[in-house]
Amino acid sequence: MWKFALLVLQNLGRNPLRTTLTVLGTMVLVAVVTLVWSILDFLDKQTAEKSNNLKAIITERWRAPSQMPYSYVRGLSEAGATEPDDFRPLDSMTWAFYGGTIDPKNRTRENSVFAFCMEPEKLLTMMDELDEMQGEPKAEFAATVEKLKQNRRGIIVGRELLANLNKRVGERMVLYGFNYKDINLEVEIVGLFPDSRYNKSSAINIEYLLSALDSYKREHNGTPHPLAANPVNIVWLRVPDMAGYQRASDQILNSPSFSNPAVKIETLASGVGAFLESFRDIIFGMRFLLAPAIIATLALVISNAIGISVRERQMEFAVMKVLGFRPNQLLGLVLVESLLVGTLAGFASAALTYFITNDYFGGINIQIAFFSKFYIPQAALWWGPLMGVGTALAGSFLPAWTARSVKVSDVFAKVA
Amino acid sequence: MLPSSLQLDAIRAPLFGCGLVALLLLSGRIPLSYNLYNLLVRWRATVLTLAAFAMVTGLLVVMLAFVNGMYVLTLGSGRPGNLIVMSEGSTDESFSNLGYSDVGDIENQSGILREGDRPLLSRETYLILTQPLPPRAAEEPSFRNLYGLAPPAKPPSRRFLQVRCLDDPLLSARVHKLELFEGGRWFSEAGVSAAKPRAGAAATANEPLAIEVVMGEGIAKQMARDRGEDPRTKPRLDVGDTFELGNRTWVITGVMRSEGLTFDSEVWAKRSLVGPMFGKETYSSLVALTGGEDEARKLKEFLNNDYKKAAVNATLETDYYKSLNETNKQFLVAIVFLTAFFAVGGVFGVMNTMFAAISQRTRDIGVLRLLGFTRWQVLVSFLLESIMIALIGGAIGCALGSLSDGTTANSIVGGQGGGKFVVLRLTVDAATIYSAMLLALSMGIVGGLLPALKAIRLKILNSLR
Amino acid sequence: MPADSALVRVSGIHKFFTRGSERVDVLQNLSLEVPAAQFLGLMGPSGSGKTTLLNLIAGLDSPSEGEIWVGDQEISRMSEAQLARWRTRSVGFVFQFYHLMSVLSAYRNVELPLLLLPLSAAERKRQVLTALEIVGLADRIHHKPGQLSGGQQQRVGIARAIVTDPTLIVADEPTGDLDAKSAEEILDLLQELRTSLGKTIIMVTHDPRAASRADRVLHLDKGRLVNETRAEV
Repeated sequence: MWKFALLVLQNLGRNPLRTTLTVLGTMVLVAVVTLVWSILDFLDKQTAEKSNNLKAIITERWRAPSQMPYSYVRGLSEAGATEPDDFRPLDSMTWAFYGGTIDPKNRTRENSVFAFCMEPEKLLTMMDELDEMQGEPKAEFAATVEKLKQNRRGIIVGRELLANLNKRVGERMVLYGFNYKDINLEVEIVGLFPDSRYNKSSAINIEYLLSALDSYKREHNGTPHPLAANPVNIVWLRVPDMAGYQRASDQILNSPSFSNPAVKIETLASGVGAFLESFRDIIFGMRFLLAPAIIATLALVISNAIGISVRERQMEFAVMKVLGFRPNQLLGLVLVESLLVGTLAGFASAALTYFITNDYFGGINIQIAFFSKFYIPQAALWWGPLMGVGTALAGSFLPAWTARSVKVSDVFAKVA
Repeated sequence: MLPSSLQLDAIRAPLFGCGLVALLLLSGRIPLSYNLYNLLVRWRATVLTLAAFAMVTGLLVVMLAFVNGMYVLTLGSGRPGNLIVMSEGSTDESFSNLGYSDVGDIENQSGILREGDRPLLSRETYLILTQPLPPRAAEEPSFRNLYGLAPPAKPPSRRFLQVRCLDDPLLSARVHKLELFEGGRWFSEAGVSAAKPRAGAAATANEPLAIEVVMGEGIAKQMARDRGEDPRTKPRLDVGDTFELGNRTWVITGVMRSEGLTFDSEVWAKRSLVGPMFGKETYSSLVALTGGEDEARKLKEFLNNDYKKAAVNATLETDYYKSLNETNKQFLVAIVFLTAFFAVGGVFGVMNTMFAAISQRTRDIGVLRLLGFTRWQVLVSFLLESIMIALIGGAIGCALGSLSDGTTANSIVGGQGGGKFVVLRLTVDAATIYSAMLLALSMGIVGGLLPALKAIRLKILNSLR
Repeated sequence: MPADSALVRVSGIHKFFTRGSERVDVLQNLSLEVPAAQFLGLMGPSGSGKTTLLNLIAGLDSPSEGEIWVGDQEISRMSEAQLARWRTRSVGFVFQFYHLMSVLSAYRNVELPLLLLPLSAAERKRQVLTALEIVGLADRIHHKPGQLSGGQQQRVGIARAIVTDPTLIVADEPTGDLDAKSAEEILDLLQELRTSLGKTIIMVTHDPRAASRADRVLHLDKGRLVNETRAEV
């Protein structure tokens, strides 16, 4: 076996230009597919149902954006439990969205702040990604959260947002509300989110928003702010398993306390899935049109390169046959050659894509709704070689078969 | 199938390509037959390269057609001369609240066209509702695990339905210049009627009446698709069909001719009935018909700056829809990015073909040079070959990609303020074909140039040896 | 050009290559004249410089020193582009391995050099057919090289060489790859070109039998002319 290795390498080295072009072509195309697959994989994971320790989201039943009264929060946090043996969730969180700008005259994406108004301590236990932190980063963020608890006018901001606002930790700013018109919040930046999907987000203590709504009522002779009745957008629950989710769902949907407006409850995964419904044709296109077409192009590029090299070596294959090489050995020689190129280029590309996107760029910045960043999953490290192997096999089988079935007499006749 | 809007523009790139070929032929005086024969002799490499070109251009056409569909909606939905009035600070209908008394006052401002003493103005309440979906047909691809290798997941259970609640549908239709398909009627003053009982279910006397709606053709198609109807026998829901939402039955009384408008994805119903049902008592917007663009602009300035009764935000309807372009731009950026990568990969493939072509023909090059052909002419000759592959492959790709023209797809168009869920039609137009052919041509030139440069560096005497 | 002067005049040329630091002299102080309408044979062992000399006269290469005149043109001073233009009109080439474009028919192969001249399609057609007639292949014009015998391919090569009506034809081992019978036919044809069309022909060959058909034979060795044989006319 190894004695053939040298032959393979010699052949690849014979036309370094072609080998290089093929490798580069493979790498570029594999990189695109890796990016596309990474996005799909991320979305798939978001919509994959967990069976244990899962999150449920409660929103207004019919209207979007969901708006619920603050009076629902206490009951919903307990999943509507009233009796001692009713089901109680492991944890809960309340979200009210607040959008404000630091420059009301000229509002842009850069000077706008989108904040989760919530219970500060839930940042550590209920926020996706943040609730999985361990060790030192966790302790560090816990200290920041503590500051938010102490300072009711505090705000925790993401790194990119801080840079966009051109502010520093410790600075104060006034946010001029645009979804809560005339509710302007004077906040002090108490700390940063860890480097995460929250780089463009921010978090405010929900108490501050509520008290600002109260002051509005006082200042307007008792007329409440139009949105004061329904400030809560989402209530989150953490439940131990699907059975728990089912009980929580039954309790909430059967409770008379949450009927005006009516609410709905769904697992996080199915909530995300429902949201992605609006993108389903784009996702379909990426999955079944874009990625396959790129892979097919890759197979064509490889097939072309190997085909050319086989045709150029007709004479050599004939000579090797005369020397006693068996047809299948020639077939193998060509296949191994393309497999080697495909696998190595595929792996190199996936690895480069992985490290460049994740470590150098810190994720792909594609804004589909509330997902801000995509990372290349580790699985990409085997997607690459797999694509390489697959396309190399598909692309080189015919050329290899040609090499196998070279007719010695024909080749020599042509040359003579 | 090319759209009827196909104009000279579409063939500009191919025309340019052919022109380039002709020019090169003339300046090179290289026999085209020589290049053609060479392509035929190496038919395997030619076919593979053609196919790669077709893939790249075809895909670009489909992706651009998609974004085009989005632009058709955002640039076409606004009607010049229409002014949309929302509450101050709102940039999107779904967040706007206008008080009753304000509405009455605004509609009496001068500048708004009137018919008798009735102002031509559409009072609207815009709602985004969550509609539970019927279980998805089994053969649709699963959402999970890249290619559905894992067990099929529970299908998504709902969609966002955009409901525009109106006081007077005829007036609103007039403001928005919309008509119904034959056989339909606008919902009645009461807004309800008895629905045809479902097959099998007995009609009961105390069942509440069905809410009457008219809907855009696009959403009618989507609903049929979600229901698993066979698109050949029932491409869309039609007059008399019903659906469930908010514990009520809704019945379709008409389908709007709304292709190319965002209204295509909307359901229109009686405001006094549906608004309170979902807890929205106020109007979200007024759309006023004015004498023309100048009058609309004048009224806009007045309402925004000098109108004191209520704080409102007036926008030309055309501007409002244009502001939803932001998503389109993001998509375009993503497409350009993807295509660039894709094209680079393709170029490497062409280079392989052309380098091989040249190494097979070193002697031909020597002879040509020796007969007195200049380096430039040899360069032209080889460039011609890759350009021919590019043009043919590109044309095939455009033809394949054009098959997507007219296909409907779901997407979101949006800007800073908010967005709309839309059903768009993939639109292949002249600019699409132009861009795709231009890409193919550039790939051909870039991919052919390096090898051609190598060809002309060959020394005559060396290449004959 | 005075009637008595030679068509090709080579005077005092040197040609050397440098290989690394080493200088390899291929031709040394070589002079020669070829009168119009002469059939000249160049013989010599491998590496004697005969092909180099041929290439210099044909304008494919330039001498390191000395002058080469063909007719009233000093080709040793021409730029590459000038040479290319001059070659098209003034020289026809015949090769040992024919060097035809395998994808083109005999007709298209012969037509190739005419594309460089300002001729109408009709004129080109007439000239191509004439050339193919002269070489005796009028019935094979649509065949591709692969469908022709070696002798026939060489005739196409010769037709291509004469189609622009050049005064000078250079041939590098034109019979080197042919069987005896075909070789004889090709040599007949070359002689015919000289006698009836008045072409000046310079032919490099190994083969004494081929050389014997020339009017005059020059022998080269180590870059110098060593002796001269004149055929009895």
